[in-house]
Amino acid sequence: MKRTKMILFGVFSTALFLLIFTAQSALAKTYMIGSSLAITGPTSDAGSPYAKGMEDYCKFSNDMKLLGRDKVKCIIRDDAYKTATTKRNFEDFMDQEMVIYLNYSTGSTLGLKKDFEEEEIPVLPASYHAGNLTGSNYILLPSASYSEQAIGLAEYVARNHKGGTPRIALFLHPSAFGRGPLSDVKKAIKAGLKVNLVEVVEHGKDLDNTAMIKRLLKKKVQYVISQTVQSPVATVLKDAKRLGKIATKFGQKGKLTFLGAHYTGGNDLIALAGKASENYFWTTAFTLTSEQSAGTDAQLAMARKYGRDSKTANSHNYTSGIMVMQIAIEAIRRVKAKGMDVGKKSVYKELLQMNGFNAYYPLTTVGPVTFGKDDRAGVDSLQLYVVKKGVFKAVGSPFVSKYAKMIK
Amino acid sequence: MSANRWLTTGNYFTSYQDEQRIFSTRLDKLIFIGFIVCLFAWPLLIKLSNRNMLVLDTILIAIVAVLGLNLLTGFAGLISIGHAAFVGVGAYTVASIIRLIGDDHVLVTHAWPLVIIVAGLVGAVVGAFVGLPALRLRHLYLLMATLSFQIIFQWIINFSTFFNQGQTISVGRVFWFTGKIVRKQHYVFWYYVILVAIVLLGLGVRNLLRTRYGRSLVAVRDNDRAADAMGMHPGLTKVYAFGLAGFLAGIAGALHAYLYRGVGFESFTLHHSIVYLAMAIVGGMGTLSGSFWGPAAIQFLELRVEDLAEKAGHYFPSNMNLSTALRPLTFGLVIVLFLMFEPRGIANWWRIVRSYVKLWPFRY
Repeated sequence: MKRTKMILFGVFSTALFLLIFTAQSALAKTYMIGSSLAITGPTSDAGSPYAKGMEDYCKFSNDMKLLGRDKVKCIIRDDAYKTATTKRNFEDFMDQEMVIYLNYSTGSTLGLKKDFEEEEIPVLPASYHAGNLTGSNYILLPSASYSEQAIGLAEYVARNHKGGTPRIALFLHPSAFGRGPLSDVKKAIKAGLKVNLVEVVEHGKDLDNTAMIKRLLKKKVQYVISQTVQSPVATVLKDAKRLGKIATKFGQKGKLTFLGAHYTGGNDLIALAGKASENYFWTTAFTLTSEQSAGTDAQLAMARKYGRDSKTANSHNYTSGIMVMQIAIEAIRRVKAKGMDVGKKSVYKELLQMNGFNAYYPLTTVGPVTFGKDDRAGVDSLQLYVVKKGVFKAVGSPFVSKYAKMIK
Repeated sequence: MSANRWLTTGNYFTSYQDEQRIFSTRLDKLIFIGFIVCLFAWPLLIKLSNRNMLVLDTILIAIVAVLGLNLLTGFAGLISIGHAAFVGVGAYTVASIIRLIGDDHVLVTHAWPLVIIVAGLVGAVVGAFVGLPALRLRHLYLLMATLSFQIIFQWIINFSTFFNQGQTISVGRVFWFTGKIVRKQHYVFWYYVILVAIVLLGLGVRNLLRTRYGRSLVAVRDNDRAADAMGMHPGLTKVYAFGLAGFLAGIAGALHAYLYRGVGFESFTLHHSIVYLAMAIVGGMGTLSGSFWGPAAIQFLELRVEDLAEKAGHYFPSNMNLSTALRPLTFGLVIVLFLMFEPRGIANWWRIVRSYVKLWPFRY
């Protein structure tokens, strides 16, 4: 009798365990985050580590159960920088009930802007083009725009230049991505920023920039602010070095001091330009592994955990990829914490409440992520770095561009 | 000819007119009509996802563009590596109208069929103009001339403020008799529009090839001096071949603008010209059916390679690098394999299947 009871008890408890286990699994939800990136094709040197950062943080959040029982399903697709493919990927994600969309290029972000509006889905692009925000409610820039970066660099030049108004040139990528800050820099100058914009150069695929460097020097240009990708900057730096026209210290007379925005710098620039990258000034909103902090330690540990090589682990694009995924998952976590259903509308609403005491500190950036109805750029602070002995070192504290705010 | 026109097995041509018929048997015609009816009816019965409808619509637009390229390169023998620029001319015609009158103007939203036709006509004019060097140039040199057009086109778009320096110019939602075509109906609606365009243009091209104007394209391709001696005008024929290709490409470009609801220069680069050429090669140069097979095959291949790379990514940690290698590798490999082993393209397989079915149950 006792034995029968024992067997019955065993069967009953096993059944109960199985029931609880399956019920728990059934209750656990999966939220879809879609992403279309240029992992191959143009700018894939940035897109590939960016995708790896996103992928790793997605795995990390599931492994560490950041959303409790619930999980995120991150679909990361390659669009090879083709807007048509981006659109196809976006439609695919929408069919799968995506809650937030992580896009990449300026072209595709502008191209799909109307779709984002109609679908009312929050979008975090890798493009910090200020024009993304024009006529859009759902695009949120993860960090300060290219315009803010370029104006911030021009402000730094104006503050630290000795003797008269500094003469600057803009070195731009021949695309919407490159041209983005041009009109805003002009507006800032009109608003009182004390720099003299002498020339705007849209680079091609030149292998030699001797003529351009000589022309700029003839026009007494002392500072070149770049808004492009690393390889054209590396070519200019190497040519300036070869001609002996690269400034060895900031603002050296008769020489050129080079400065650049987010996508112009990073370790890839140092690898491409070698010693010519010494004294290159660069601004970004992200922490760098060459400047140790809690965030960079965590980043390197995560890269090790998921088997990334040293190049990827130390790339600022890897950091940027982690950061956008951090924002997305944090927004989902906050929606869940409020007991609301996780969907594109609730995630968007939560993102807009990420300010004040609710600001998000991802540790991968030099300032907090803040969004609001009138604030569509996440990290407003920027950090200036300069290459010293082959590594980027921080110059001063994080700053916020005064004139960028003024012209908004 | 067999007494029963439904049951003929094989060809029984007794005149040139017989040989030039679009449908050689009544069964052929019935199958074709049935097929077209199916193409129009299936969206009413089966609901595809937006993504799949977009893929389908993109294939159909590519078919319109490749029809033009096939006329130019396949039938007239004039190599063009600037076809995406011709498609771009059509798209930027729509964009120009929008820049002038706004994307919510009644002409753009209500009179869109007219806008599409205008885009085709502009494409034809530009095509004929670009074709002028064909009067003096042949083969590789003509290829270089079309390549120059592609580069000039890209440069103009990329640097002209009127064209928003290549940034996307948005296209508004269109209206139909039922009202505004909203996002939910968008892809199915454009499926029907593009399908109608394909049926009309396909039949138009098929008919053209039966006329002296169509045959003169082939004659000039095979031997322009002989064609000249036979009373054809090789120069005019070449220019009008470019004009025709430009017209079809212009229509494709306008359809692209409306489908994607925006015009940006990234969709009309040299890479796209090469893809159109690959579609024509894989489909079958100088065949009408090749223009249908090629775009479908290349798009299908691209999607499968994407899926493969994604699936492989679950087993290999750095799937992105695998994807980097897979895409160009398969694309290049397919073109090389077709050029080596089946230069007549998929259209030749279709021809073999058709002739087998037509003669069945006899072997020859």
